[in-house]
Amino acid sequence: MAKVQVLNVAVLDNPSPFGNPFQFEITFECMEDLAEDLEWKIIYVGSAESEEYDQILDSVLVGPVPAGRHMFVFQADAPNTGLIPESDAVGVTVVLITCTYRSQEFIRIGYYVNNEYTDPELRENPPIKPDYTQLQRNILASNPRVTRFHINWEGCAERMEDSENVDPSSNSMLPPSCLPGKAPPLGVLPDNSMDCL
Amino acid sequence: MLCKPIFSVDIHPDGTKFATGGQGEDSGKVMIWNMAPVLREEDEKNENIPKMLCQMDNHLACVNCVRWSNNGLYLASGGDDKLVMVWRRAAFIGPSTVFGSSSKLANVEQWRCVTILRNHTGDVMDVAWSPHDVWLASCSVDNTIVIWNARKFPEMVTTLRGHTGLVKGLTWDPVGKYIASQADDHSLKVWRTVDWQMEANITKPFSECGGTTHVLRLSWSPDGQYLVSAHAMNNSGPTAQIVERDGWKTNMDFVGHRKAVTVVKFNPKIFKKKQKNGSSPKPSCPYCCCAVGSKDRSLSVWLTSLKRPLVVIHDLFDKSIMDISWTLTGLGMLVCSMDGTVAYLDFSLDELGDPLNEEEKNSIHQNIYGKSLAITSTEAQLSTTIIENPEVLKYQQERQNSAQANSGPGGAAPESSAPKLNSVMNGESLEDIRKNLLKKQVETRTADGRRRITPLCIAQLDTGDFSPALFNSVPILPSGSSMSSQLTPQLSSDSSPGQASSMGLKPTHDPMLTSPPPNNTAKPLEDNNDGVKSSLLLTSASKIEPMKALDSRFTERSKATPGVTAAISSTAGLTPLDRPKDGVTAQKEAKTKEETSSDSEDKMAAINKNLTFGKRKPELLLDGGEVVEKRKKGRPRKDKMAASMAQPFTQPSKVVAPPAPVAVLKLPTPSTQKAFSLQVSMEPSVFLEVENEVSMVAGSKLSQLRCSRDGRDWNTLLPSSVVVAAGSSDILAVACEDRMLSVFSSCGRRLLPAIQLGTPASALHCSAHYVMVLTAGATLSVWDVQKQKALVKNESLLTILSGADTTVSQSLLTQQGVPVIGLSNGKSYCFSSSLETWTLIADKSDSLVQCADFRSCLPSHDTPASSGPLAVMQGRNLNNIKCNKETQEYRYWLLIYARFLVNEGSEYRLRELCKELLGPVHKSAATSWEPTTLGLRKRELLREVLPVIGENLRFQRLFTEYQDQLELLRNK
Repeated sequence: MAKVQVLNVAVLDNPSPFGNPFQFEITFECMEDLAEDLEWKIIYVGSAESEEYDQILDSVLVGPVPAGRHMFVFQADAPNTGLIPESDAVGVTVVLITCTYRSQEFIRIGYYVNNEYTDPELRENPPIKPDYTQLQRNILASNPRVTRFHINWEGCAERMEDSENVDPSSNSMLPPSCLPGKAPPLGVLPDNSMDCL
Repeated sequence: MLCKPIFSVDIHPDGTKFATGGQGEDSGKVMIWNMAPVLREEDEKNENIPKMLCQMDNHLACVNCVRWSNNGLYLASGGDDKLVMVWRRAAFIGPSTVFGSSSKLANVEQWRCVTILRNHTGDVMDVAWSPHDVWLASCSVDNTIVIWNARKFPEMVTTLRGHTGLVKGLTWDPVGKYIASQADDHSLKVWRTVDWQMEANITKPFSECGGTTHVLRLSWSPDGQYLVSAHAMNNSGPTAQIVERDGWKTNMDFVGHRKAVTVVKFNPKIFKKKQKNGSSPKPSCPYCCCAVGSKDRSLSVWLTSLKRPLVVIHDLFDKSIMDISWTLTGLGMLVCSMDGTVAYLDFSLDELGDPLNEEEKNSIHQNIYGKSLAITSTEAQLSTTIIENPEVLKYQQERQNSAQANSGPGGAAPESSAPKLNSVMNGESLEDIRKNLLKKQVETRTADGRRRITPLCIAQLDTGDFSPALFNSVPILPSGSSMSSQLTPQLSSDSSPGQASSMGLKPTHDPMLTSPPPNNTAKPLEDNNDGVKSSLLLTSASKIEPMKALDSRFTERSKATPGVTAAISSTAGLTPLDRPKDGVTAQKEAKTKEETSSDSEDKMAAINKNLTFGKRKPELLLDGGEVVEKRKKGRPRKDKMAASMAQPFTQPSKVVAPPAPVAVLKLPTPSTQKAFSLQVSMEPSVFLEVENEVSMVAGSKLSQLRCSRDGRDWNTLLPSSVVVAAGSSDILAVACEDRMLSVFSSCGRRLLPAIQLGTPASALHCSAHYVMVLTAGATLSVWDVQKQKALVKNESLLTILSGADTTVSQSLLTQQGVPVIGLSNGKSYCFSSSLETWTLIADKSDSLVQCADFRSCLPSHDTPASSGPLAVMQGRNLNNIKCNKETQEYRYWLLIYARFLVNEGSEYRLRELCKELLGPVHKSAATSWEPTTLGLRKRELLREVLPVIGENLRFQRLFTEYQDQLELLRNK
């Protein structure tokens, strides 16, 4: 069983204008002291059609985590509108909160999100190019969808074993300094980047 | 109920609730239900009586088995996620929902997982608590059975290996001597609990079986005489095989089911034929009752006294029966099925017979096994007994608390030790904290520039007063939010009384459905906005439902999330050099995640194994360390001598000394050594050194006795060779070849004139200021050096040395000057100077002593006290101890004796004991009652004994009676 149980997620500042940061107040309980930090992510699904348009809005480490009940507020900037297909801007999509321990995802909390114009005029005749300043984001906070995954809580032996088995010539084993060319230049990076895989 | 399969059902020992285990939506599910609505229709209709008490979604995969511990405090569950979880009811009261659960029903009771037992590498199919909840057994498709120490979770006792197929069922022998398992490998195996080895392997009835059932839940009859298997075959027909305890014979079976038997469950009661009113009572054999469930969807109930089933119920379910549970009364039964339903069956006494009460059941056990199940098995029965005395209640509660604190799984700290919520919060209300949490929470950057939030600890585990209601409360909006002004009226309307009533039952705050009423105070424009918005929201909510394209995103783990890097760099402004590193790790993550789940699970299993091996090693090392230490203790002779005084000299003498030449000499004498030394006392440290035949003076041999006490030496010369020497912290004694006994103070002063012994000394002991000498002529003498008085004079051992070959194997002297003699025939005697006779204090060959139950009453924390000499000699009768004047030991054994009597339930003996301790309430000249024994006030002793008596509710009247009298006496 998971050492960490999410007891509640309260969606703050909801509904809100599209450009407002996401705010989730997360309450979780931990059965025993954790040796490492938890990593939380907020993923915005840009389009129902493809994972290509997923955006990781932010990722935070949470720690140290002793046994007990804890809470924190996870705030992340709104998605980068430039990466959302225009046809998917208005309507229903999903925001996901995931938590990983030792790089293993053990819980995924999903919410439906509805983006709508507040102005009846715009609702009737939406502009072809979405006007994000007029959009309102509404998270269906009452209906979280929680999926839990079985992970190995006892140490990262699994990963160590993996790295041992990896072909030493593969990129993953190269020191980081060997790979600068593969990273996109910083200046081109938008505020929020896209999940490329 | 749900239509997901229910694999297991178990009724709580108190009969007020039951647990089910099965498949949830995307996890395993354990649910605890209220029994009352099942039993009574009016309770079912009463909406105020909850049906579901708690649901737990923690198992990641289907739950195959749920079992309550015999004491009802714990629930164990095992599932396809390879885990066994042990649950305990949490202290806090009040409903809460499981976060993210589709069902919005609140949990009435809070059950929390107190320990997770990880060891199995495959689905856990069955779990079973041993009688008295000493062990928990679990079996798995990994072909093993694991025995867990239920008093010290998650400690493993052992793993039973031997099955070559999926193990699908477990049952404990009610006497606790065996555990039986049934597996897909066409075998039923019986394992001994003494050494955890296989006792029997029964294969014949199963050779024709195909591995087609999900479970093979076998069961042991309450009298322990029969074991009934699940799926067996006889002449190609499915049966439930009866295995007799006597020789594990398989001559009988339950026949009639058309498909494989999945579950067998014995009724916990033993029955006897119901006596009809008026008819003369006929002696009849007690019998058991057994329910058999099958894949053919039918249930049969059998009495061992009938050749045909008592009742067969066909088509009870749409799918296979998976589990059966009887109520402790034996008259009700829950049956669950793969079709997701549970059925309750109710029997009358006319149908089943008269259930034997616990006493009668115990006496059957006593007759068969020579041992009753005693206190624990009756406890469940007694839980319904009304506690009549607040003191008894107090003792019972204290006992439960200490039991929970000591033996609770996982050794969880008692609730009381958890700090109060307020102290955690520094007096701030939780609402205040939540308002400012975002601003107040500590956020730092790690070395690689990542955000790191320190979570606010709002409660220790198991804080009783923490209200879970919080989790569904209204979200608090950060004051800085741009929406706050717009939403303020909404919030205030929420808290207005009219609105609150409509919101009252909603478990969560649902902004989508909140329609803000036109607010008089707010501006018209805002009102409009709100009105429009609410309608918009309602439409959007309805629009959301059919969006199934997104649903998969909720459940699928993201394949990779390398975008993190970019997100971080954008906020943290990382240098380009840092980024690729993150990208690399992300890629690696992706790789791990893309592996097939089974692969990674296997790996995980392997790692788990490694881990347990890793853990074991140090244990082994520790063991080794202990052995070494023990050996070290044993090696230096000095220590041992100090502990047992001069005894080592008698021991070698038996081997070395030639048989006494003279017939008079019954006992061997030690041979004279050239020199020897011994430590006679540790505190102060006194060493004794003897050197014989040091010098010849005028033809006579002189021997030297040297003594060093706390570093100060003295020595003296003796005219004859020293044969034995002994000493205590106060005195030293030496016996010489010329049969002279000399006694010195530890500083070298002669305390007694030289004593002429009749025959050479065989053994010599000193203790405190007493000297004991055992002569070769088999006589015993004890002197009190301080009082210069003989306590025992030349008492012959011939009375106790019956039989030609009997010799003295051990002798010692207690601190009170009581001589104790251990004989080679296993008997031990002491000489009582007041009775002037030998008294038997222990007899190893006495089979009664060997089988005595008092050992089971030894409380573990008392063991240091048992190191007294009598523990060595195996004391049994209290009066013996009294003879030996061992004050502390008397107290110790008295309490043991009381506990023994309490456990055995012999009230008249307890009463006699209490009476003796209490003495007459009114003083009269005629009584000869001594208020003290061995310097202990008897009434004080009674005060100590009473809590022991209070532990068994059956004796609460006795407890009350003597408690009151003690109070009365104290007030006088």
